[in-house]
Amino acid sequence: MTLSGFDFAQPWALLLLPLAALPLLRRRGDSLVFPTLAWLPDDRLGRLMGFVGRALAVLAIASTVLALAGPGTPETTVMRTGRGAEIMILMDRSRSMDAKMKPSDWRSIDPHSLLHQMDSRGQPKSEAARDLLSAFVERRPDDRFALMFFSAGPMHVVPFTQHDAVVQAGIRAGGMGRGLSDTHVGRALVAAIETFEQRAYTGSRIILLVTDGGAHLDEPTRKRIREGLKANRVALHWLYLRTLNAPELGAEASAPPPAAEGDSMEAIEARNVYHAQESVPEVSLHRFFMSLPVTYRLYQADNPDDLAKAVAEVGRQQNFPLDFDERIPRQDHSRAVFAVAALCCALLLIHRSLLLRSWL
Amino acid sequence: MTHVDTVQEFHYRLPQRSASARPGAHPGSSLGSGQEFVSHMSLYDRPDPRRLDLRASLRSTTGDWLVRVNRQRVGVTVQALVDVSASMDFGAQRRKLDLAADFVESLAHSAFRVGDALGLRAFDHAERIDLTVPATLSRGLAGVMADSLRRCDTAPGGIEGLEDVVQQMGGRESLVFIVSDFHWPLDRLGVVLDLLAHAFVVPVVLWDRAETEPPRSDAIAALRDAETAARRTLLLRPRLRSQWRDAVATRRGELDALFTAHDVRPFWMTGHFDADAMSDYFLEAAA
Repeated sequence: MTLSGFDFAQPWALLLLPLAALPLLRRRGDSLVFPTLAWLPDDRLGRLMGFVGRALAVLAIASTVLALAGPGTPETTVMRTGRGAEIMILMDRSRSMDAKMKPSDWRSIDPHSLLHQMDSRGQPKSEAARDLLSAFVERRPDDRFALMFFSAGPMHVVPFTQHDAVVQAGIRAGGMGRGLSDTHVGRALVAAIETFEQRAYTGSRIILLVTDGGAHLDEPTRKRIREGLKANRVALHWLYLRTLNAPELGAEASAPPPAAEGDSMEAIEARNVYHAQESVPEVSLHRFFMSLPVTYRLYQADNPDDLAKAVAEVGRQQNFPLDFDERIPRQDHSRAVFAVAALCCALLLIHRSLLLRSWL
Repeated sequence: MTHVDTVQEFHYRLPQRSASARPGAHPGSSLGSGQEFVSHMSLYDRPDPRRLDLRASLRSTTGDWLVRVNRQRVGVTVQALVDVSASMDFGAQRRKLDLAADFVESLAHSAFRVGDALGLRAFDHAERIDLTVPATLSRGLAGVMADSLRRCDTAPGGIEGLEDVVQQMGGRESLVFIVSDFHWPLDRLGVVLDLLAHAFVVPVVLWDRAETEPPRSDAIAALRDAETAARRTLLLRPRLRSQWRDAVATRRGELDALFTAHDVRPFWMTGHFDADAMSDYFLEAAA
């Protein structure tokens, strides 16, 4: 049964509605006999009280019946247009993220005291990343975000949602306690890709990997990542938080494999250099990402300023309109109607307790 | 059924003479054996040598033998007219009808003591023939009358019932009690009192305490009129209570004024029947 945005779960219960007329029937028991009303004053307030009592009784029965019928607004789908993307934030929760970053003015610091300065003035990487991500989420109200932490394994925190408050809370929750022991990028990426499966493609998809270290991935994992990203058309952005003395993923690391063929010493030397670099986890991961058939971007950040720039860059990259249907489930209003009934009953009890029951 | 353990009696004497032939206790208009001297008559006119007054005969200028003639005290007929309408079925502790029955029982005993005949007539919207007891001197009727009143079913009534009863009465009764709460329009009551002008009328105004005195606690009172079944809801509060009391006082004043205009003094009976108060009432009336 539907009445323009209003329906009843059990409309047959409305058949009981005529019961609401019961209090209007005058019974002998509900009033006291008095020999003559002629000499009693006509009391307007009293008349009002009598009316209120009957009205409350009618309302209590009517609203109870109505609540039993289960009124509610039916399920609807609303087409929403968002700008931007579905962004899965995949954040490293390992202990290395608790290490501090270089202060913003690191260039003016004596290199000998840089380590000391970092220790005293630097901001922990995870904290800087959290602050910026939280600002990033706040600036992009139209995007849908999901949040996943990982260390030894992936930790689902927030599924895809447009309710930013939840995402913010999730990001804040990442600051609890100390980091965990391990960094297992492969498993985390696979889990992140899996969240996109079974979802309708409504706009650009991004996995924003926020970590400070790389990993060597074995061949089955690489295969799953490659195929998963391709099948789900997910772009990968790596926010690389560089620790002091960690490898820089510059032109050298990004270079394609040397074209040197053959057994000449130079060629062997070039290949060896290339593969020696491969042993560095970050470089290995970067090269694997570059080999992926999907969009891949690397943002390196040494200090909070670089990080802010990188986050802004991600924001610029993803600004396409995005259409999606939001399903608004059926909302049951019977609780409110029951509350009205309960209120009426309570008032009726008060009314009844005020009633004169006998002349004695 | 509540019976009064010991039936209270009251003493009554009519303040006026009654025309009745039967010897009794009230001042009468018939001559006979009494204490009250009227005049002397000739022995030939009234051949009663027991009452020959020698001293008066000697003083007589006509030379007749004079006989003292006395007024005989008489027994009268008493009628109790009892309202058994629905409003009499009301009472917080005891119904007004029970009080009326108490009164009739007491009256029956008192009337028997002084040798008066007592009749009972009840009415609601018309005379209730089933409750009528013709005026008799029988002693055993007290309980019968009281019980029949206590057991009777009430019905909505009004002044029409009283009018009906008064018109049916023979005009030979000397003392008439009207037991009612007088919850009816007063303009027709005057005519009824005029019809009863030959008798000594005692209106027994029977009210319950719950009627005259509003409940002390503040409350919502949903009330239904006993006679008309009309409804009214009152919110009892100090202002309303004073209005209630004022209304009762006004009604009392109206009744008083009407009865005084007909040279009748009402007997107010609220809550219980006090036989001594009734005795006092007659003492004051006879004084």
